[in-house]
Amino acid sequence: MIIETHALTKKYGNKTACDQIGLSVEAGQVYGFLGRNGAGKSTCIKMLTGLVFPTSGSGTVLGKPLGDVSAREKMGYLPELFRYQDWMTGLDLLSFHAQLFKLKNKKDQISRVLKLVGLVGQENYKVGSYSKGMQQRIGLACALLPNPQLIFLDEPTSALDPFGRKDVRDIIVSLKDEGTTVFLNSHLLSEVEAVCDSVTFIHKGKVVKSARMDELLMTKILLTIRANGLTEELFAKMNKQHESLQKLADGSLTVSLNDYEEIPALASSLVSNGVTLYELTPHRETLETVFMQIVGEEGQSS
Amino acid sequence: MLNYFPNTSVTHGMGNQFKPFAIQMVTKMGFQFSAMLIALLTIMLGSGAIASELESGLIQGILSRPIQRYQYILGKLGGLVILACTYATLLFSLILVIGAFFGLSTITSLTFSQIITGWLLYLLLPVAVLCLTLFGSVSLKAVSNGILMIFIYILGNVGGMVEMIGQYVSNNSVIGTGIFISLISPFQTIYSTMERVMVPNSELAASAMSAASLSGSGKPASLWMFVYIAIYMLGFVMLAIRKFSSKDIT
Repeated sequence: MIIETHALTKKYGNKTACDQIGLSVEAGQVYGFLGRNGAGKSTCIKMLTGLVFPTSGSGTVLGKPLGDVSAREKMGYLPELFRYQDWMTGLDLLSFHAQLFKLKNKKDQISRVLKLVGLVGQENYKVGSYSKGMQQRIGLACALLPNPQLIFLDEPTSALDPFGRKDVRDIIVSLKDEGTTVFLNSHLLSEVEAVCDSVTFIHKGKVVKSARMDELLMTKILLTIRANGLTEELFAKMNKQHESLQKLADGSLTVSLNDYEEIPALASSLVSNGVTLYELTPHRETLETVFMQIVGEEGQSS
Repeated sequence: MLNYFPNTSVTHGMGNQFKPFAIQMVTKMGFQFSAMLIALLTIMLGSGAIASELESGLIQGILSRPIQRYQYILGKLGGLVILACTYATLLFSLILVIGAFFGLSTITSLTFSQIITGWLLYLLLPVAVLCLTLFGSVSLKAVSNGILMIFIYILGNVGGMVEMIGQYVSNNSVIGTGIFISLISPFQTIYSTMERVMVPNSELAASAMSAASLSGSGKPASLWMFVYIAIYMLGFVMLAIRKFSSKDIT
């Protein structure tokens, strides 16, 4: 495991930011870390990168204990609130970070990352004159400088336009192809769904679910039903069998099923009760709906 | 001042008798104001050195790289010491050049050893201020730190004054209070030692200026006081490293 934590806890006074976090991240995968604002994601990432000290618990990153400086030689980190020395040029900033990483082939690495993040030709301008998107790109370039084995990206596309987001997605995919482990924290769930192999959901500082992405999205099927003649009585009766059955504003129904095999039985039941069916469309569940269910359920239960 | 005093009714007729006294005051003023300027500039430089990077989040990109936290503190300290010392050397040289240009006997009579000792003590002042300010920068927000450091610096000036008053009235408890304040803020001690080296035999001028500027100093500082100052500086750097090494970068 490239990241492993056991009961990692961080408390600020009476407030618990992270509570008994247990993570196991395999090397070479893109790992999504999801949760609502204030769920404790950034605190957890900061503990893994050595910026914040855990109150209790333990863990290893790249085989070294948390906070070990030598582990950071092959670790990249793009902070959520990226801020860089705005009086430096992009090139100066990259040279500075290359020195911090103690890189030997500075020039080659700098030109490699500039090309990767699409900032070739912009490197001689001051960072302060960069747009927010360009600043995020230069931050990503800094994180990519040491050819990291593990990279933490905390909201890497928050300031980017759709083209920039696609570029970052492509970078993440290429990093994965090269064997780099990417630890991704993003609120853009479609993005996470597109690139992540595994995800962990965190709510109020606790891990509520960890799963492989394919397992998570394969488990449920969302069925959209357009029908006529569905009485309130029949709806109530069906709702007892399928708790997830919902009536939408446009009059259509949605229901979450465990298996495709449930669809014929449901259709037959509707027709036998005098309902006229116009449409039955099964969808795979999106990460967004899964996120809403998992985090929403936890929100209600807590 | 040299032009002004000889023409006043008080000094009229004193002529050459008053001139050495006025020259001493002018030289002392030059050193005093420049030292104060250096100290305040050092506080401005140092108070936000770490605090502002913590507040802006800029530090996250640096400390997530393979560097130890003590390296960050010592790097900051080293850079600021070079900057403050360069500026202090420039001001110190300017005072000497201007003094020599106007033929002030206090400057033209200085020996090489006096200049070097005075210069080193002049440099010690911003370095000592930096050591304390850097600890404040790790512990407080930039603005709060700046205000506190200015207060401590001024407190040192008042401490010297209190000690001197204690000597005039021969009251040991007042002298003790002055010394205690000088232990909290030893910057005035450094300055007054430098002043004694650069403008010796000028007690009368010092007394006249103390009354006007609410600063002063009692007896010359002993070697032990400088040992204390060395421990003071080293102690605050160690405390800054210790505090910063366990600080959460949020």
